[in-house]
Amino acid sequence: MLKSKTFLKKTRAGGVLKIVREHYLRDDIGCGASGCAECCRTQEGPALEPRPRDPESSLCPQPHYLLPDTNVLLHQIDILEDPIIRNVIVLQTVLQEVRNLSAPVYKRIRDVTSDLSKHFYTFTNEHHRDTYVEQEQGENANDRNDRAIRVAAKWYNEHMKKITADDNHPQVIFITNDIKNKEKAIEEGIPAYTCEEYIKSLTANPELVDRLACLSDEGNEIESQKVIFPEHLPLSKLQQGIKSGVYLQGTFRASRENYLEATVWVHGDDEENREIILQGLRNLNRAVHEDIVAVELLPKSQWVAPSSVVLQDEGQNGDDVEDEEEKENTLKTAINEKMLRPSGRVVGIIKRNWRPFCGMLSKSDIKESRRHLFTPADKRIPRIRIETRQASTLEGQRIIVAIDGWPKNSRYPNGHFVKNLGAVGDKETETEVLLLEHDVPHQPFSRAVLSFLPKMPWSITEEDMKNREDLRHLCICSVDPPKCTDIDDALHCRELENGNLEVGVHIADVSHFIRPGNALDQESAKRGTTVYLCEKRIDMVPELLSSNLCSLRSNVDRLAFSCIWEMNHNAEILKTRFTKSAINSKASLTYAEAQMRIDSATMNDDITTSLRGLNKLAKILKRRRIDAGALILSSPEVRFHVDSETHDPIDLQTKELRETNSMVEEFMLLANVSVAKKIHEEFCEHALLRKHPAPPPSNYEVLVKAAKAKNLDFKTDSAKALADSLDRVESPDFPYLNTLFRILATRCMMQAVYFCSGMDNDFHHYGLASPIYTHFTSPIRRYADIIVHRLLAVAIGADSTYPDLTNKHKLADLCKNLNFRHKMAQYAQRASVAFHTQLFFKNKGIVNEEAYVLFVRKNAIVVLIPKYGLEGTVFFEEKDKPKPRLAYNEEMPSLKVEDTEFHVFDKVKVKVTLDSSNLQHQKIRMSLIEPQIPGVSGPTDSTTLNTDEPEKKRSKLEN
Amino acid sequence: MAGLELLSDQGYRVDGRRAGELRKIQARMGVFAQADGSAYIEQGNTKALAVVYGPHEMRGSRSRALPDRALVNCQYSMATFSTGERKRRPHGDRKACEMGLQLRQTFEAAILTQLYPRSQIDIYVQVLQADGGNYAACVNAATLAVLDAGIPMRDFVCACSAGFVDGTALADLSHVEEAAGGPQVALALLPASGQLALLEMDARLHEDHLQQVLEAASQAARDVHALLDRVVRQHVREAALLLGD
Amino acid sequence: MASVALSEAEKVYIVHGVQEDLRVDGRGCEDYRCAEVETDVVSNTSGSARVKLGHTDILVGVKAEMGTPKLERPDEGYLEFFVDCSANATPEFEGRGGDDLGTEIANALYRIFNNRGSIDLTSLCISPREHCWILYVDVLLLECGGNLFDAISIAVKAALFNTSIPKVRVLEDEEGSKDIELSDDPYDCIRLNVENVPCIITLSKIGYRHVVDATLQEEACSLASLLVSVTSKGVLTCLRKVGKGSLDPESIFEMMETGKRVGKVLHASLQTILQKEENLGPKRQKVGFLG
Repeated sequence: MLKSKTFLKKTRAGGVLKIVREHYLRDDIGCGASGCAECCRTQEGPALEPRPRDPESSLCPQPHYLLPDTNVLLHQIDILEDPIIRNVIVLQTVLQEVRNLSAPVYKRIRDVTSDLSKHFYTFTNEHHRDTYVEQEQGENANDRNDRAIRVAAKWYNEHMKKITADDNHPQVIFITNDIKNKEKAIEEGIPAYTCEEYIKSLTANPELVDRLACLSDEGNEIESQKVIFPEHLPLSKLQQGIKSGVYLQGTFRASRENYLEATVWVHGDDEENREIILQGLRNLNRAVHEDIVAVELLPKSQWVAPSSVVLQDEGQNGDDVEDEEEKENTLKTAINEKMLRPSGRVVGIIKRNWRPFCGMLSKSDIKESRRHLFTPADKRIPRIRIETRQASTLEGQRIIVAIDGWPKNSRYPNGHFVKNLGAVGDKETETEVLLLEHDVPHQPFSRAVLSFLPKMPWSITEEDMKNREDLRHLCICSVDPPKCTDIDDALHCRELENGNLEVGVHIADVSHFIRPGNALDQESAKRGTTVYLCEKRIDMVPELLSSNLCSLRSNVDRLAFSCIWEMNHNAEILKTRFTKSAINSKASLTYAEAQMRIDSATMNDDITTSLRGLNKLAKILKRRRIDAGALILSSPEVRFHVDSETHDPIDLQTKELRETNSMVEEFMLLANVSVAKKIHEEFCEHALLRKHPAPPPSNYEVLVKAAKAKNLDFKTDSAKALADSLDRVESPDFPYLNTLFRILATRCMMQAVYFCSGMDNDFHHYGLASPIYTHFTSPIRRYADIIVHRLLAVAIGADSTYPDLTNKHKLADLCKNLNFRHKMAQYAQRASVAFHTQLFFKNKGIVNEEAYVLFVRKNAIVVLIPKYGLEGTVFFEEKDKPKPRLAYNEEMPSLKVEDTEFHVFDKVKVKVTLDSSNLQHQKIRMSLIEPQIPGVSGPTDSTTLNTDEPEKKRSKLEN
Repeated sequence: MAGLELLSDQGYRVDGRRAGELRKIQARMGVFAQADGSAYIEQGNTKALAVVYGPHEMRGSRSRALPDRALVNCQYSMATFSTGERKRRPHGDRKACEMGLQLRQTFEAAILTQLYPRSQIDIYVQVLQADGGNYAACVNAATLAVLDAGIPMRDFVCACSAGFVDGTALADLSHVEEAAGGPQVALALLPASGQLALLEMDARLHEDHLQQVLEAASQAARDVHALLDRVVRQHVREAALLLGD
Repeated sequence: MASVALSEAEKVYIVHGVQEDLRVDGRGCEDYRCAEVETDVVSNTSGSARVKLGHTDILVGVKAEMGTPKLERPDEGYLEFFVDCSANATPEFEGRGGDDLGTEIANALYRIFNNRGSIDLTSLCISPREHCWILYVDVLLLECGGNLFDAISIAVKAALFNTSIPKVRVLEDEEGSKDIELSDDPYDCIRLNVENVPCIITLSKIGYRHVVDATLQEEACSLASLLVSVTSKGVLTCLRKVGKGSLDPESIFEMMETGKRVGKVLHASLQTILQKEENLGPKRQKVGFLG
């Protein structure tokens, strides 16, 4: 089996170690064309078409395959992903280089390769007897790889000649943007083109040209040759500088308000100079938001103060800088010694964090121009220059653009068009935009991911029942909101012979279907959570699992992970047991249905008795939890009633809470706590837990002040004290006051986070007043629960472990991603609500509503409209209008506008309108109607404000 | 820099082998004249020498002699230059002692020790170059050396390692594959009976996968057997020719 | 076998033979046995060689590692020797049994090779006082058939000849911090000049005469021997008497002369073989232990 291979060695001197690796060359690697007589091997997996039916190319009329080099793959992946481009040979050499250079591109190319309809074939040229090349004396690794690629291209062309008798044999076309490499290839008789040449030759598909990344070759520049920016220093210089402390490394954060200003958050623990302010184009030096940069501190004499000016980049194509300098001077106002901050300039980029950006095209004034500026939706991203012929079609559309580079003589970065999302304001488009902008992975699941799904029809097999208890005889039911398709929990309760109660919480056994390490698992881990938007759900796991096999629907056999307690009638736990199980839910109820069963005296079936038992225990559990200091907080939750035909929201409704809601919640909490204890006991170093840190006392200031104003004494030194204080809030003439206080208290809370038990020693969950907590009950929609399931399964011996599960650093990284995804999901959700609110008011027109003051600011008040759960800011300073007299009292806090004073929780009346002056950033605007303040409020007022988007950010307590 | 991809989507390992393929094996018996038996084996870049002295009378303390069978005495050592980073001592460390002990157990199971009561058989193995599967190479070399010494054995002892990556069992791990840290199984097989003379597993591996990995390692060991058998026959043929003169 | 036990008659037979310039295996007193030399036998070392002299079988591996120069010689690299008398050679060496012999040989090697006269140690210096190459010369004794020192010295010289050390550059920035950069061209390396590296010639006194390259049996008949290290030009660099017997001054001079004479020839033939192997380049079929 080995004799057919020649044996060669590859020596790599890394460090000072001489490492010798074997490198086998084979003669059984096929060319990838299905049915190739020469290779006579049955092709498994993706293969090239024997007669490629490619798009018409004016350059190569023959049927042909493409063979791109590494840089083409790296930079032109957008093109390669286009369905028109098919039959591409990806060399192993190229793939390895891509893998080392860019993980995201590598993943994308692998997805493309696994798509059978694309006919991409990976040729293992490094192990092929005829295409392996050895590094020669005086040749560097890059040159060797280039040569290896050419050798493979040559081999392919000769191979194709051999297997096809007629003259019209398929050609293999080498695509490279490296002019020297191309010349060498042509010399060696390989048909070679640059990517641009080839794409432009596809006469039938001119739209592809726009997707080409424009890579500015030096000398190929049509731009003005004037150098605008200082040169970036090479990475080695930067690293040395950072080591010696001359430069500081940090994350670049552009300002939303002012395109000429940014801050750099310096990495490291140094308390001093944590934040460095950068002003002016030259100092920003082509850094883009989120890049990792190296900055040099300027001497103190050049330090500046953060400006309060709002500046938007409105320039056209021009590269003139004089204009900018003028603007930069306007920043240098308000020179007050105290306000000066450490200032610096960017000397080099350590790592770009470019992603494709959403935004809109600002068409060039020149009609024939193909170069246009693109304005990203995110104001922190600079405008990008792209080249396109479809400017008129793209106008008014939301599009995606990727940055290719930012040469030092260009005012704007260069980029290329990637995708048209659709018309602005369109619901689908806007949803796509907010998903992209919040970095929510929402592409359809790739083939590779789907390949790990169980084959349908699925049923429980003998094998599945190993290590599993059969609980199908139990009377289990689920209680969820209406129309819920991803049911991850079900419950049961029955009386035991000894008089005690057995209560079971059964959670979908998602970890049975998602095995560690495979593509499905990786994708789920990446997504981290299911994202619920107003009328769309972005699943974490494919639908087959989320809505079918894992969903604990009624009257079908499903696999579950059960947590079973034996309790006495006082809800004291006597015994806790975990087991993998098979269940058969007897009913899927909504909260309302369950409530009805419990309440109606006529129903006495098994399900109802079970529910009553659960309800009784839940009440005791809840009481006990509250006595221990758990907080009951509130946030205004609303649902949109959506028109069934237009899908436009027609009405809003605040969520109703029933006893059954808290019944289910109570048992979920109990299960989570029980599981947290168990996994921490078993894996004290690498249990995945969830904690909720106690907020610093300063967070409560607003709350205490507000209470003082209402003559209430608020204690916030412990969760218990806070809960008691909240309970005491009562006002017969103001019933909503208690809710308002709870809403305000919610805003004081910290974010709850996942963490690995070996990396932290504070486990306390403040909001739930539990010493330890985790997430176990929603594995269909949260990845953290899947890990917890795996840990628990190992703890009870039902499943095997794997290396990453017991690696606390890997686990900590995972937690980091999950926390990020959860935060982003929350933001996306809010953005979705905001968009739908806008739609709602667009249809509804101008309305006047009652509202309560939540916060008082220096020049505005933040109000909440309970009817819509809508929060907004009422500004008292407006552009082009006389400013009213404002007096802000920080102590109270209160704001006096002319003669009217506003306090927290004051009742006001506001007018709600939709401001569409900026197509890309529509917003809800609120203005005061009552109490009337002359010159400020009034129903006649209709001038457009240029206010900022109402502050939407709020920390919401999630258990 | 991304970590190493142990098994590509196309099914090739880092060095170009497929999952079940062995490295190139070359071996020779009778390398040294003074020892009673000796052999040398190359499994890819792993190179090992084995020398057998005996059976002879007990050396040193006679109290160690066994009344009913021969004592098998093994020493495992690695040349100081055999590994990537230079070793400080060739033998005497814990790992080497453990290997020696394992070798001894393996060969006590294979050699017909009851034929030589109160005597001693020394097996010394020396790794000249280490590139993964050191134990397996040593066992295979020692088998040939014992055969060369003419000591009767129940069967060949053929050893091979196997690992588990992405749901696939890999046979005969190289050093890079071992260093990646996945589970690995070392196994010594008596091919005729299919009995295992030694089985060792490092790292965690789920029971369900064990069968697959064991199967891969056993198959690899059987392949090794075929090769060793060929080497022995070749050696005997040459020796017979020389004797015939 | 590090030594053999001979009967009196056997000894007499050997001694009488030597007297007549006719040794047991048919050689004259100044003849070497047939030696086999092969370099680059262990691919993960910087240099290696295997030498077979009769039944004596030696494997030498050289590993270059980066380290700091010794305080007293800040601009030189240095060599470290280690001799492993493995149990392969004889069961007596099992465990720590070979340590004494190994140390003895290693000490002799230090004295003979680790000085500026034999190797240009300054070429091993990367940056004075900070970085230098340390060459770990590890000798593995696989089989012992007499005349260990000579065989080991030949193998060491061959391995050093074969050694290639990767080229490194010291990068220094304005702040004075230094970084070491390794060339990514595997062909870019330093070779050592081994012209002045001496070989050891052991002259064993048997009866009234002395022989070179004594077999185990002959060593058993010899009471004392003289160890001389000779360079290719015939310069004597080191001299040592070994063995339990005594030597008279006159015969020492005689033996030195023989040593120089034999040494020059030995160096010449070794150099030819090494050069021949070198010229074959990577196409050379490696035999190693398979031949």
